[in-house]
Amino acid sequence: MFRRAFVLPLAVLILALASEAPAQASESVWSGLVMANNVPEPTPIPAELNGLEGTLKQLFGYNQFQVIGQSRKTLKTGEEDWLATSKYFSLHVDSKAAKRSSYVLNLQLFQEQKLLLETKAKLSKSSPLVIKGPQVGDGQLVLLVVIE
Amino acid sequence: MKTFEEKWTAWLDGQLTGKELAEFETSLPDKTAAEVEKQESLKLGAFLKEHLAVAPAMTNEEFFHHQLRGQIAQDSAPTANPVERPQARETWWSIGRLLWTGAASLAIFCVCTYYVIQEKSTGGQSTYLTQIINARVDPVVSPNATISMFETKESRVTVLWVDGLQSLPSEYAAK
Repeated sequence: MFRRAFVLPLAVLILALASEAPAQASESVWSGLVMANNVPEPTPIPAELNGLEGTLKQLFGYNQFQVIGQSRKTLKTGEEDWLATSKYFSLHVDSKAAKRSSYVLNLQLFQEQKLLLETKAKLSKSSPLVIKGPQVGDGQLVLLVVIE
Repeated sequence: MKTFEEKWTAWLDGQLTGKELAEFETSLPDKTAAEVEKQESLKLGAFLKEHLAVAPAMTNEEFFHHQLRGQIAQDSAPTANPVERPQARETWWSIGRLLWTGAASLAIFCVCTYYVIQEKSTGGQSTYLTQIINARVDPVVSPNATISMFETKESRVTVLWVDGLQSLPSEYAAK
């Protein structure tokens, strides 16, 4: 009879521990270097940016977004690092698993060997990170990090 | 015509007289043994009368018999439907269970409190949105750079807005 009394607190504890556990390491993170500019005949937006087209256009005021460098990393342990590169830029990402399906990322944007920007962010699923980079010609470099 | 047993009982009780007594005693095969048996029977009778008189008289004899018959009938009847028999009701709220229920409630309260406090400690930001913890640019490379952060609620995008980075020529847009 007393065993029943254990069931409820045990279930609560299991739920608590499950929600406290590190993020599941079966997700992949897409990191991209995107060049935004205005052209008379814009090319269709890349598939990776489909859900963000409206937001990107509203934020930056450009009508074309082209991926110049990207990386898709499947996280196994949640503690990995990877690099998305273009000819002149590279985005180095170092991840640490955090709670509730999120990852703490250290991001470094390099222009060749020169560190331009460094940031630390707690990336959550279904909440992309957009970083405005330097002006390049008549366009804008934009960095994106998304949990897929 | 009396049987031998009836005459024997009457003889033991001293109810045979006259010719009938003489004839019966003549018919006895061993009169001495019969006399001994008669004396013992009289002694037993006297003893029973003495002790039965001490037993208390029953004032509710009919009721007692009725109850007794009812109990016998109930015991001898087959137990066809045991469900109908009245059972003592057991209450769930025993002391032990009350203690366990209290402990379980306290545990749930503690867990909930922990989560509420943890939610507040995130500085009011939703834990379901990406949060920028810190950001910096090299002041030597980009001395005029400014950093701001915001979120677009409708698309749940977190934006790190960096102004003042050194502009680069268009060839840097190459893949």
